[in-house]
Amino acid sequence: MDKSRQVIVMYLITHLGLIFFLYPVDIISALSVGHWSAVLLGFMLHIALVAVYTKGLSYGAPQNVVDLFQGVGKAFAFVALLPLAVYFIVVIIITTRAYAEIATVIFLSDTPISTIMLLFLAVSTAISLTGIEAIFRTGMLIAILFFPFLLLVIVLSFQNADWHYMLPLMDRKTASLSFVYHPSFLKSLFAFVGGFLFLGFIPPDVPYRRGKIVKVSFALLPFFLISVYVPLMTFGENTSSRFPFPFIMAVDTVDISWLMFDRVTMFFMISLLCFVILFLSLVMWNTMLLLKRGFPAFRTKSAVLVLAGLVFVVCLLVPSWNTLEKMLWWNTLLRFYAALVIPLLTLAIGMRQRRKGAVRP
Amino acid sequence: MNLLECLKSRQELDSDLFLTPMRLSDRTVTLAGYTSLIDMPQTMIVLRQLAQNDVASDHPLFALDSGLGVAMQNPDEQALLDAIAEGDLLIFSDEADRCIRIVPVSRTLSRAIESPTTENVLRGAISAFNEDLDTNIGLVKKHSLSEKLRIRSYMLGKNQRRRSVLLHMEGQNHDRLLESISNKLESLPDKDIPDLQALSELLGFSKWSLISRFNTTELPQEAASALESGKVVLLLDRFPFAVVLPSLLSDLFVTQNDRNFPTVFRVSFQILRILGLLANVLLPGLYVALVAVNPEVLRIEIALSIAGSREGVPYPALVETLLLLVIIELTLESAIRLPKTIGPTMTMVGGIILGQAVVDAKLVSNILIIILAATTIANFTIIGFQNATALRLYKYLLLVLSAMFGVLGLFVGMVIICAYLGHVSTFGIPYLTRWKTGGRHG
Repeated sequence: MDKSRQVIVMYLITHLGLIFFLYPVDIISALSVGHWSAVLLGFMLHIALVAVYTKGLSYGAPQNVVDLFQGVGKAFAFVALLPLAVYFIVVIIITTRAYAEIATVIFLSDTPISTIMLLFLAVSTAISLTGIEAIFRTGMLIAILFFPFLLLVIVLSFQNADWHYMLPLMDRKTASLSFVYHPSFLKSLFAFVGGFLFLGFIPPDVPYRRGKIVKVSFALLPFFLISVYVPLMTFGENTSSRFPFPFIMAVDTVDISWLMFDRVTMFFMISLLCFVILFLSLVMWNTMLLLKRGFPAFRTKSAVLVLAGLVFVVCLLVPSWNTLEKMLWWNTLLRFYAALVIPLLTLAIGMRQRRKGAVRP
Repeated sequence: MNLLECLKSRQELDSDLFLTPMRLSDRTVTLAGYTSLIDMPQTMIVLRQLAQNDVASDHPLFALDSGLGVAMQNPDEQALLDAIAEGDLLIFSDEADRCIRIVPVSRTLSRAIESPTTENVLRGAISAFNEDLDTNIGLVKKHSLSEKLRIRSYMLGKNQRRRSVLLHMEGQNHDRLLESISNKLESLPDKDIPDLQALSELLGFSKWSLISRFNTTELPQEAASALESGKVVLLLDRFPFAVVLPSLLSDLFVTQNDRNFPTVFRVSFQILRILGLLANVLLPGLYVALVAVNPEVLRIEIALSIAGSREGVPYPALVETLLLLVIIELTLESAIRLPKTIGPTMTMVGGIILGQAVVDAKLVSNILIIILAATTIANFTIIGFQNATALRLYKYLLLVLSAMFGVLGLFVGMVIICAYLGHVSTFGIPYLTRWKTGGRHG
């Protein structure tokens, strides 16, 4: 049975969860005019990488990344995938810590941050233990439940938009693409990279059409643009660059007289947080798969618990948002490895495999 | 002759067992059986008739092809007892040690076919299953007149023998499902099945599962449509429900009976049930989250009116909600136990407690009463009592999480429930599958 739909939904919701919180602030601080070019550039990069990655995977189908890499050599696979595992673990730490912080800042000011982190980690660990197919099904159900709501809030978020703020579309600085080296821009790639690597870990008994993923990726572009442009159009560039979470602030300004709720934002954010929890469980599942293949001695259940405990302790040790930002920045190197090297290697190995298969059918 | 001796010694232990001498076509025979299962006068008339026919056609009474029941070849004591226990009549010849087993006229020990007691049908067939297995099979057959219907019979249990029948439609099934179920039934024939939980264990489901892995229905119509769509139906003797495997999420919302209404209504009924489920699970948690943790989400007017209605309530919202929820659960539980004649008393007393009095006494707030009433009503929009019961549990999880984390806890609780539903599968068929065979559900 074709599971493309589940994979696509998972792909979309993990990205949606990552877009609306940290992405707009990075883009808005990376450049002052013509933000669309930064969004588009990142997006093109994203599409290109996804295309390369899925192409490589479809050459090597039905094997997943780990099988492909191990086909070249055990040692090679270990060396090539270890940084990926580290990257995943760091992503879990950063995501848990960051979103717990966001939750306390925005709506749970009295709750200690550690309990929120514990909640996130416990739930995502439990979900990751149920296995990838169950994760996909859960994603489907959650998407059906929460997505209409999300769309509604996104449509409503245009309530206070002033379309003149979109101008000017371009200036000399933007045209020269000098923002590419801006740390904020590089950090913004966080939203693009983490989400698609799971495609390579899906076991062969979950068949899906790899070509569809690239096509569906284009559906994400409006969301990237909206997340940046809604705050820009609501507050203007100057004001919105001062907010820690510009999109959330923009949605907070929405006032709907026919609704019994004052802060629609909260439901919006919480649906996104739920997507993030799914993302966390997915990454955790990926990490476990990597660790299990690298160190066959691990027993999944206890290893996941140890991993979750470790992540929790590290999260507790992160003292402030600034440290987190620094961690996000340090992680850039690993991120580039995960985002660039892994897809390219996959393509190379996949092509090699196909050639071999063509010679000896 | 020693077989008869055996039965005679048995008679001393079991007074229900009769051993009656009788003359049949000039021979003395002994009849053996259970008084409580066999309608003796009627049976005797039939026997005489049969014996006369035999004599007329010049057959010896105990010949193999006498046409008078099945001759038992060298039976041992256990075989005889089993035959009697199944309600058959044994005829022993007094000369030779021979024995014939025949199906007598049995006493009526089942109720007639009646209308269902736990499911209501507004438009559609109203006959329901009863305790007699053969009647039930007949009902299903009447409802799905198809040559593709296949029936496999099993005898389960060691101390308590119980007949059970597996029905399925040829060519419609997921082969793996059918195979796994029949394998399970064949591999453990000695396991007693006094109740559904034992059946669930026999089929290899976890004891702690929060979702029943099979759906039960009282309506032959539903069973037939389940068969039609490729599910497997299991009928147990003395159990007036059909067990439908696998159970799916859609079983909570979709019933065959809906198809007797125009499509628009059918779809709106289903949407209504989904809303009912969400309201039932979410409302108490939402109340606690909004009152206790995140009041700023509400419009200021509503927030003030809720705060006003809680004025004088001395404990936190969680305790308040739990208190009233427990009372409602108690009401539900006692309503099941009570005889029908005392039922209205319960309604009245419950109405008073859950109505004005508890508010006037400043024990809970007005709004909570509304919310809990809505929750309870919404609970029973779900199809099937067993499903509604399972749902009652989830709201407590959400309640506790909401009290701790507010709206975030509520939503995370939803994620947990979704993950649980996503995780459950029956014989490799996930609970969240859209059932496609036959194209009926989905």
